[in-house]
Amino acid sequence: MSDIEKLKSELKKLLIEYAKIKELPPAERGAFGKQMNQQKQAILQRLTAAEAEQESAEIEEIDFTAPCAPNEPIPQIKRGTKHPLMTELDKVIEIYNRMGFDVMESRQLDDEFHMFESLNFPKDHPARDGYDTFRTGEGYIPPAHTSTMQHRALLKYQPELERDGQIAVVIPGRVFRNEDADATHEHTFYQCEGVFVSKDATMGQMFGVLKQFFEYYYGQKLKIKTQPGYFPFTEPSAELLIEKPAALGGKGGDWLEMLGCGMIHPNVLKKAGIDPDRYQGFAWGGGIDRLVILKYGLSDIRYFESAKLDFLEEF
Amino acid sequence: MKISINEIKKYVQIPSTVKDEDLIELIGSRLVEVEEVIDLAKKYQGIMAVKVVSAEKIEGTHLTLCQIDAGAQTERFAKAGSKTVQVVCGAPNVHQGMLAVWLAPGVIVPETFGHENFKLGARKLRGYESNGMLAALDELDLGSDHEGIVELNPREINPGDDFAKIYGLDDLILDVENKSLTHRPDCFGLIGFAREIAGILGIKFAEPRLGMGKFENLKSAILNVDIRDSELCPRYTGAVINVTALKTKKYFDQEVAFLAKAGMRSIDPIVDLTNIIMLQTGQPLHAFDYDKLIRVGDSDTAQIIVRAARDGEELQLLDGKIIKCIPEDILITSNDRPIALAGAMGGKNTEVDASTRRIVLESATFSLYHLRKTQMAHGIFSEAITRFTKGQPAACCLNVLKEAIGQLGGQVEVVTDAYPGKIQPNVITLTIEHINKLLGTAYTAEQIQGTLENVGFGVQCADDYNLTVTAPEWRTDIHIKEDIIEEVGRLLGYDNIQLDLPVRKFREGQIDRMLKLKREIRDILSDKLDAHEVLTYSFVSKKLLEKVGEESADSYEIVNSISPELQCFRQQIVPSLLDKVRENIKAGHKDFVIYEMNQVTSRHAGLDKEKVPLMSTDLGIVCLGDFYHLKALTLELVKHDLRLDLSYRKLAMNSETARTYPYLEPKRSVEVYCNDRLVGAFGEVKKRVLTELKIDKVISALEMNLEQIVDAPRVIEKTFLISKFPSVERDLTFKVSADALFGRIENALNESLKRKQLIYTVTPVSIYQSDPNDLTKNISFRIKFSNPERTLDSEEISAIIEKIKEDVASVGGTIV
Repeated sequence: MSDIEKLKSELKKLLIEYAKIKELPPAERGAFGKQMNQQKQAILQRLTAAEAEQESAEIEEIDFTAPCAPNEPIPQIKRGTKHPLMTELDKVIEIYNRMGFDVMESRQLDDEFHMFESLNFPKDHPARDGYDTFRTGEGYIPPAHTSTMQHRALLKYQPELERDGQIAVVIPGRVFRNEDADATHEHTFYQCEGVFVSKDATMGQMFGVLKQFFEYYYGQKLKIKTQPGYFPFTEPSAELLIEKPAALGGKGGDWLEMLGCGMIHPNVLKKAGIDPDRYQGFAWGGGIDRLVILKYGLSDIRYFESAKLDFLEEF
Repeated sequence: MKISINEIKKYVQIPSTVKDEDLIELIGSRLVEVEEVIDLAKKYQGIMAVKVVSAEKIEGTHLTLCQIDAGAQTERFAKAGSKTVQVVCGAPNVHQGMLAVWLAPGVIVPETFGHENFKLGARKLRGYESNGMLAALDELDLGSDHEGIVELNPREINPGDDFAKIYGLDDLILDVENKSLTHRPDCFGLIGFAREIAGILGIKFAEPRLGMGKFENLKSAILNVDIRDSELCPRYTGAVINVTALKTKKYFDQEVAFLAKAGMRSIDPIVDLTNIIMLQTGQPLHAFDYDKLIRVGDSDTAQIIVRAARDGEELQLLDGKIIKCIPEDILITSNDRPIALAGAMGGKNTEVDASTRRIVLESATFSLYHLRKTQMAHGIFSEAITRFTKGQPAACCLNVLKEAIGQLGGQVEVVTDAYPGKIQPNVITLTIEHINKLLGTAYTAEQIQGTLENVGFGVQCADDYNLTVTAPEWRTDIHIKEDIIEEVGRLLGYDNIQLDLPVRKFREGQIDRMLKLKREIRDILSDKLDAHEVLTYSFVSKKLLEKVGEESADSYEIVNSISPELQCFRQQIVPSLLDKVRENIKAGHKDFVIYEMNQVTSRHAGLDKEKVPLMSTDLGIVCLGDFYHLKALTLELVKHDLRLDLSYRKLAMNSETARTYPYLEPKRSVEVYCNDRLVGAFGEVKKRVLTELKIDKVISALEMNLEQIVDAPRVIEKTFLISKFPSVERDLTFKVSADALFGRIENALNESLKRKQLIYTVTPVSIYQSDPNDLTKNISFRIKFSNPERTLDSEEISAIIEKIKEDVASVGGTIV
């Protein structure tokens, strides 16, 4: 007789026993009934368990630690990857976009006018040397900063101002500096520029916007501080630092230099046909590579442009 | 640039409440980025002056056995009962009675501080015990001299005295970032730097009174200065000084320590002085040998002419190099013969040396634009030219010269001041509102006036609203009201500005169409499919272009490229990707798809309306696999997901397209059209190209111009017809001639089902050819169809199949 059958007959016997309840004096019936019920429940429980076991009796058990069943191919999951710089750039754009900024893209070959002249760098000024630009035989420049797009952005959105609106745009793009690549230097990298112009833009607003951005980006409240900077196209100019966020292992007291910023120089506005007596604005620019490096603790910046799948598959 | 806190404190009284670390923090937040703080006190800890009581040569060696007296410190190191400490010294100049610098046992040799940290002990040399060592200048890291040990002046220091304390080496040195001071020539001198610190601390800066000596009615020499172009040289001041009375230094002194702290080395008394004055004021000076100058000029008196260089004119510089001038160079000449490359370096022909009796001391300023070109053309990056290219103010030249004369001593014979380019001080008018409106602050007139006056601005403000600000003569960078606003904001602290957010009219932010398309493609290729996005450089080598068959002359060429590998701006993405295939195969990747979306251009693409090269964003895909592999992927991406109206045409041999994509094998590639516009091509890469790239696998590639599809209409009509009635599934195989096009059979099949108004699918199953030489092949499909309104009976089904056979037969397919 199988376990199940035994249990079933046990149950039957119990039910017959239970019928005797009627013969007992009323005072004892409560206790008897309770006891019988307990026994019945116990048998039912064992019965359910036995039935479940019987149902799976023929099934072969798995080795949950193995990648596949014996003699079966290992299931292959193939997945693509996005480049970490592009993923991060998208995240940055997304935040500014939510904050109401338009997004336009920077270009990878430009001229002296956009790279320097429109940005108030006097011709032949030594400040141009700080940018270590590449040049083509025709004198074109693979831009050394996304600020090369400032003039275009101002021109494009200038009509917004006439409509009593504002200019609010961010410009991501690839930029180039003529320096030898090593673990911490790349001649090719990505930046994101920001431009805001209105009737009453202030430095306080600039720091407010940037603080807000980094708080969204790192998902926490952050402290900021500044250092004076020098850019011919902003006046005043500053460098913005944030206190190293907890997300990056910051414990307070460490500061990270994030970007250069400042109030747009009146000459830059004028060149784009915007009257600096009526409008004022701020602009900033910061590296995207650095955000990724900080996030993942990368030791060698050259991986980014290496197209090594071993590297990319880590993301 | 290295800034000494001790030296700064000589010019500005730092309140005792401001600790050094607070001061450094303030400098960082309101003046310039501090890259590093070097604590010299640690470096020179425990180093003291000692008197050499006796010095006896150790026979048969170059060594000298010395007994030294370290004053009150002697007892700590001397053997019991001895009043001196024994040190063995190898220097030839060690002698009895001298004061030397002793590195006692336990002291770290400063030269090794911060890297090896070599700690001295007591050890035996040739059997004699030596306690520590007597130091030379290089071991103290205060110079490069190793000829002998340092000798100290007994009038300055006593045995046992702390060496660091007496010579100001108990100091903090700030290494600051020059770049953020590009516009501030004044801050390249200690005085200017200290002035800013006073301003930051809200203290009125006490201007040091420079050049107070009177040098009038001097007639003992003649120094004529002729500036040919005041644009090149707004001011040139000079003095002839008799220096015969100046003696070379015997002792180490404060000046050597001062120079070392700024990262400079002591050379001789005259050069040292010019350097010290430069470090103090920011104004570089140069000394010529007067007699040599006259000889070069072949004249009786000194005739200095400052002029533009003639193209190709030659001059041997102090470092021995002979340069060929460019027309932008400015030359200092003696009677028209070059004696110095202005702002950069003096000439060998007028070098000051031990026999020099008289010097011409120069304090001048030159066009920073020209000096920048000089710097680049001749690769000179000296302390002097670094300062000159910031635009040293002409107004300060004469006072600095006079100060130098005063500090140098010697007898002045003549002082000349040529100042044709006199500049009026910059006066700027603005209002309190201008300042507060740009900064977002509420500073009062009093606050603003005080802040500016502390650093030397003249401020008039009669009504607490309108300001008239006069820039001090050393501030050549102040031109517009925003310059004044920056001073106020910075000195009072940007960190004190109340944060705010702009108020905006509600409007959705727009994203550039191309960015959106790239995002979409990235989502499809990387998230839905299994491709890997990569980034590669925009610059490629000529060699690569040649290997893939592209015309390197059609690339914009970088004239100052880092290496030949990065010389040409790329014309397409695929070559860069092909270049990365081999490496990844070698790394063990067997089956992969890589892609990149980035900007490309070529000369023949021409210029856009802004007269800059027309750029386009391309998508490049490279995969391990044949044409059909990439076709499946392309179909999935472009047709299925992007829903573009896409068609292919065979890539004709020797066609324009074949030349555009020279790496594609025409027989195994197609042109891609979107709405009948050619947008790219894909197919297998030529064998020759693969051999060149050392790839032994079949590789396919796609290059597509995204500009052409960014605005293309999307095909969104799709009939989601799902029949309630059972569908019929049949596998059909057609025998066709070996050269029959698959598409013709497939089309006939589709058309046939379509005409019957059925809900249907046609799925290719296989193409089978038993032998490549067979004249026929078999093509199999699985078809599935149903009627949208009723269940099909067997008669109807047979009729449909028969019709299909007939229709397919008409294009050459016989059912098997």
